[in-house]
Amino acid sequence: MRIRRYIILRLLQFVPVVLAVIVINFVLIHLAPGDVAITLAGEDADPAYIEHIREVYGLNRPLHEQLFSYLGQVLQGDLGTSFRSREPVMDEILRRVPATLLLVGAALFISVVLGTAIGTLVASRPGSSIDTVASTIAIALYSIPVFWLGLMLVLLFAVELRWFPTSGMFSLIGPRDPVGRSLDIAYHLVLPMLALSTVWIGQYLRLARTAVVQVLNEPYITTARAIGFSSRRVLLHYALRNAMLPIVTVLGLQIGLLLTGAVLTETVFSWPGLGRLIYEAILTRDTPLIMGAYVMMSIMVALASLVADLVYAYLDPRVVL
Amino acid sequence: MSPGLVQMMRLWRDVLRGPVTFISLLIVLFIAGIALAAPYLGLPPPEVLGDELYAPPSAEHWMGTDNNGRDVLSRVIWGARLALFVAVGSAVLATLIGIVLGSVAGYFGGWLDAIMSRTFDVFLVIPAFFLVLLIAALFGSSITLIMIAIAITTWPRSARIMRSQVLSLKNRTYVQASLSAGASHSQVLMQHIIPNGLPPLVTDATLLMGLAVLTEAGLSFLGLGDQNTVSWGRMIFEGQRHLRLAPWISIFPGIAMLIMIAAFNLLGDGLNQILNPQLRPRKRAGRIVTGFADDVPLVAALEPAEDDLLAVRNLRMYYQLEGEWLKAVDGVTFGVPRGGSLGIVGESGCGKSSLGAALMQVLPTNARVVAGEVRFDGRTVLDVTSPAAAAFQSVRWTGMSMIFQSAMNALNPVLTVERQLREAYLLHSPDAGAAAARARIGELFDTVGIPRQRMSAYPHELSGGMRQRVMIALALLHNPALIIADEPTTALDVLIQDQILAEIDRLKEQLNLSMILISHDLGTVAESCERVAVMYAGEIVELAPTEEIFSNPRHPYTRSLIATLPNLFGPRRELVALPGEPFVPVGEMVGCRFAPRCPSAADICRSAAPASRIVGPGHQSACHFADDAERLSATRPLIGAAS
Repeated sequence: MRIRRYIILRLLQFVPVVLAVIVINFVLIHLAPGDVAITLAGEDADPAYIEHIREVYGLNRPLHEQLFSYLGQVLQGDLGTSFRSREPVMDEILRRVPATLLLVGAALFISVVLGTAIGTLVASRPGSSIDTVASTIAIALYSIPVFWLGLMLVLLFAVELRWFPTSGMFSLIGPRDPVGRSLDIAYHLVLPMLALSTVWIGQYLRLARTAVVQVLNEPYITTARAIGFSSRRVLLHYALRNAMLPIVTVLGLQIGLLLTGAVLTETVFSWPGLGRLIYEAILTRDTPLIMGAYVMMSIMVALASLVADLVYAYLDPRVVL
Repeated sequence: MSPGLVQMMRLWRDVLRGPVTFISLLIVLFIAGIALAAPYLGLPPPEVLGDELYAPPSAEHWMGTDNNGRDVLSRVIWGARLALFVAVGSAVLATLIGIVLGSVAGYFGGWLDAIMSRTFDVFLVIPAFFLVLLIAALFGSSITLIMIAIAITTWPRSARIMRSQVLSLKNRTYVQASLSAGASHSQVLMQHIIPNGLPPLVTDATLLMGLAVLTEAGLSFLGLGDQNTVSWGRMIFEGQRHLRLAPWISIFPGIAMLIMIAAFNLLGDGLNQILNPQLRPRKRAGRIVTGFADDVPLVAALEPAEDDLLAVRNLRMYYQLEGEWLKAVDGVTFGVPRGGSLGIVGESGCGKSSLGAALMQVLPTNARVVAGEVRFDGRTVLDVTSPAAAAFQSVRWTGMSMIFQSAMNALNPVLTVERQLREAYLLHSPDAGAAAARARIGELFDTVGIPRQRMSAYPHELSGGMRQRVMIALALLHNPALIIADEPTTALDVLIQDQILAEIDRLKEQLNLSMILISHDLGTVAESCERVAVMYAGEIVELAPTEEIFSNPRHPYTRSLIATLPNLFGPRRELVALPGEPFVPVGEMVGCRFAPRCPSAADICRSAAPASRIVGPGHQSACHFADDAERLSATRPLIGAAS
């Protein structure tokens, strides 16, 4: 009961955030030089046709009227129609979500699990040379521009060694049966996932290391050691569980950053995900699609932070929602 | 000099010390130098088309040429100029916005702060990169605009840091003094608060620079960068079409970018560690430590008896500091008879808790037991000369257990107390089932006086006194013969302290336990222990039966400790603390460690360390004047002016 109330309260807090995102984007788009109607109709279009376009899309109305009517639409769950494809924006977005989810999810899973594991191991010997080396490498890893790493992986594993495909999510003439299709997707997933997780892993390694080092200095760890639990058990059972807390928080806060990595990676590998969709929408000035994508993105970010807080509360009984 | 300036100078000194931080700084400076000198390096102009297309790296073109015959090396160096411009420009701009808004929010507080903090939060939620992307796509992509866009999306970070800095600084004495002297708010902000709040912002600005380079490169890679400048991201963007033919076009700018961003990040991280020393890892003490066993040939006057339950001889536990050893426990010898109790008292920092940790063999990573022998129940459980760690495992928690100070999170906050007790029970009685464990825990809860239904509580749901009772139950789990209680009542309120002490006393009698009670409070120890050991600077300076310590103290330090006790029956007097700092036993030591604070000190005290000697039945003291009761009592005990 209390949790339900908490969730509702938190969802209500999203409203100003989403509102701010809509207003900022709306103002930016409409302040920008250039006429959307001309873009839509084509440079050399007939003035009458341009006027017609304005009429159809409501571009000739005052800005605040356009904003309010858009807000009204969004409240009804309608994100409008894409200028380019003439399809509902919601459909366009939902069609692209699975590919991004697969890519980001797989890369995130690998980097969190591996990063946490290595970070925890390193944390048991703080100040050692292994620790210094691992921490320095971790920083170097997350300093790699992900798109460049993607290109280098393509160069090595796709162009030179021909182990993996250079781009896309499916083979052109691929297997049709579900198992074969899944394997085909997995095969295409390897390189983009490798690029993303290589860059991300450093961050989780550092986070886990810092968290575990701090937890290991807590008095209850001394108690556990005094009782006689093996250092492995202390590390894995006691320290790691408590160290998960800051990792969960950061995960919740960084969905926006993860999407940034995703859009660049999707571009390199022509991965048909949300990031590429936004990029294409920006290039073609597909205003409804841009707005819709940003609204969805900020909702995703806000939801992620809510989920992170719920997980946190589950892991730490001291937190009362 | 202002505190901020002092901090900056200290920062600089520490930068020179850490190799990684220093090298990163050198790299950043090197890149900056090359970038600024680009026009004077005699390189082919980056935009001039050459005849040699796709030339691989050679003596003439170190990094080859691109699809238009342009020299890649020259473009990489000119690209550094742009990266540096974006990095510095957007970081400075974001930090400035952050300083202004953050200090206004933090300084004036109230509703203004509430609104502004919410705004910072909203901005932090919006994915920055996409906003920059949109701005660049809509408003054209001049490099200045991109720089501003990056600053606009990253300033909330600086604003938040500045706000919390201001919140902590604005109540400082010098700020308040300046305000009451008539300075205006803006003067106070400009002169006192902002300069002193800057260091963490400088650190974060370094990280922002790395982020800015990455963002600009990402934009350029998507084809949205400034078309009129040479940018690393754009080089890679253009190079990817020629990846098969001329990979060097994209390889080199990426490496340059990686080096620059990593240097920024490593520098920022290093600065962060310097500013927050608690982030810095403690050095682990070396595994093999020799040469301390006969540091000072220590002769304890009172040797442990043959049949003592616990016998400790010449125990030394040292901490490794930067290149030095801190001798926390330095040659301690004592015995605890079966069913007997020993109190260990001293100020904080005297080594008493280190002694407890050494006995229980739970050393911090930077500590080592370097000498000594511990026998428990006739068996050697610790012997530095023949390291057999396993020897202690047979008595750990089953023969000897410990009560920790509860206020300091001695119980795991994320597990129920039942689960913690059960796991500890099953660890040493692996064959007993969960039911037996539950029965034993219930029994112990009855013993220490906690209702059984509280078993499923988490530590934070219990009061301090309850938590301490759980801690006692945990210590009693396997019927140990000896319990070490380390400050078991510190940080509890006075009434609860008495209850817990009475509880420990009762259990000691009832279960015929031996006990070591570690406390900073001589009074606490006096009530429940038969004998008292007074520790100072890692050594036991006096050891005697409890009545003897009070009626006939033979060490000036003991006398001073007694003088600080409140006295219910004696004449009313002001309670005082001991003046001066406890001696820190580091490095070579000459003379008596208490001499610098001792009211009775003579020349001999500063030149020769006193050996401990017997001064009465079961009574030893390590003072040159231990036998000179007249001299000891003639001088006033060490009592500072009450302040």
